[in-house]
Amino acid sequence: MERAEIHELSAAYALDALDGGELEAFEEHLSRCPQCRENVASFQAAAAELAYDVETPAPSPVLRNRILTQAASERPTVAAPPRPRRRWAFPVAAAAAVVGGVAALALAFWAADLSQQVDDLEAQQHGAEEIAIMLADPNAERIPIEGANGALIVDAETQEGHLLLFGLERAPEAHTYEAWVIEDGEALAAGLFSGGEDRGTVVRLSEPVPAGAVVAVTVEAEGGVDQSDQQPIITSGPAA
Amino acid sequence: MARGLAHLSDEALVALVARADEEALAELYDRFGRIAYGLALRIVRDPALAEDAVQEGFMAVWRSSARFVAERAKASTWILTLIHRRSVDLVRREQPRRAEPLDAAPHESGDDVEEEAWLRLRRTRVQEALKRLPDKQREALELAYYGGFTQSELADRLGEPLGTIKSRMFTGLASLRELLAEEDLEEERWSEPRSTS
Repeated sequence: MERAEIHELSAAYALDALDGGELEAFEEHLSRCPQCRENVASFQAAAAELAYDVETPAPSPVLRNRILTQAASERPTVAAPPRPRRRWAFPVAAAAAVVGGVAALALAFWAADLSQQVDDLEAQQHGAEEIAIMLADPNAERIPIEGANGALIVDAETQEGHLLLFGLERAPEAHTYEAWVIEDGEALAAGLFSGGEDRGTVVRLSEPVPAGAVVAVTVEAEGGVDQSDQQPIITSGPAA
Repeated sequence: MARGLAHLSDEALVALVARADEEALAELYDRFGRIAYGLALRIVRDPALAEDAVQEGFMAVWRSSARFVAERAKASTWILTLIHRRSVDLVRREQPRRAEPLDAAPHESGDDVEEEAWLRLRRTRVQEALKRLPDKQREALELAYYGGFTQSELADRLGEPLGTIKSRMFTGLASLRELLAEEDLEEERWSEPRSTS
């Protein structure tokens, strides 16, 4: 679906009027079409104005409390304070192999502090509306990946990275996907996720993705690991 | 509020929410809760379901605020986009939709006269722009945005080819974008920009 008409879908997308295969195809297209991302952003702004052409009866006064109570019981995972960085040695040759897109790669790490495994449980996964926000960012750098449909998206300013994966099956029973940021021969655990979302999986990487770094995904036992001897199932090209 | 947040911009509040500031979330709710509820109610057409949509929308604000980048979108657009998405998801799941307007929902005016006037101004602005769209484009936008219809459902409902609906939505929304921008230019000649607070 790479015809010129796909650009037209930016309007239906901003109106939340796409569904099924077309939604997925367009989000995939968005991830590599800066022009459509700009269009979606300005279309969303215009669509949001339509929200003002409605009757505005006051909601029940208890709604405010319901929201604030739920918010208080749930800290936003994205606002987690910076954690100590964990680093493992990583064979430089192997890192080069990832850069070359060669999948046959053993990630060899040594053990790190077990207590820090708890941090990995902050699986940073996001829903459909975050895909929209991320794809609407005209400055996002899109880096191709191998092993799955999707892309690595890196904010050039903040080095914040997100993996956007389509059609990724749920991790096998009692297993999890684990993301890694690999830079200069070192691999950093960058978050756990389970996959299997209908509308695509977004993984916010808990480590920054500097220029030249690559991102890999392995399958690990539930809870994740600090060192992996698994071959990555997904590898990205180097970040720009 | 114990701490005065009223002077902060919407965008500054979102930045505080990203640092898990609950008072900032409360202030955002006070600014957008009512319009969010009005939008959700128009789409899902049931007060309890509308409150669920608003709650889920604000929880999405709470959870993903660190991802909001102020240079790239207005906070109001971002919040209303999240509310719209939740409402549409709910209505597609929960109930068959009708596109007719709600039967004369009693308009309970709030205590806040200024908010009331501000909402009326915004409403007039978008109504003026909508009036200037060709009927068929306006219909497509309204059915999609307020009715929660997908483009394929719209094509079925209107008995038109899907390709026609796609172009109509694109042309319609692009025109609305231009019309709103023109109105903003005219407005700037008359008054200082006003914040949403």
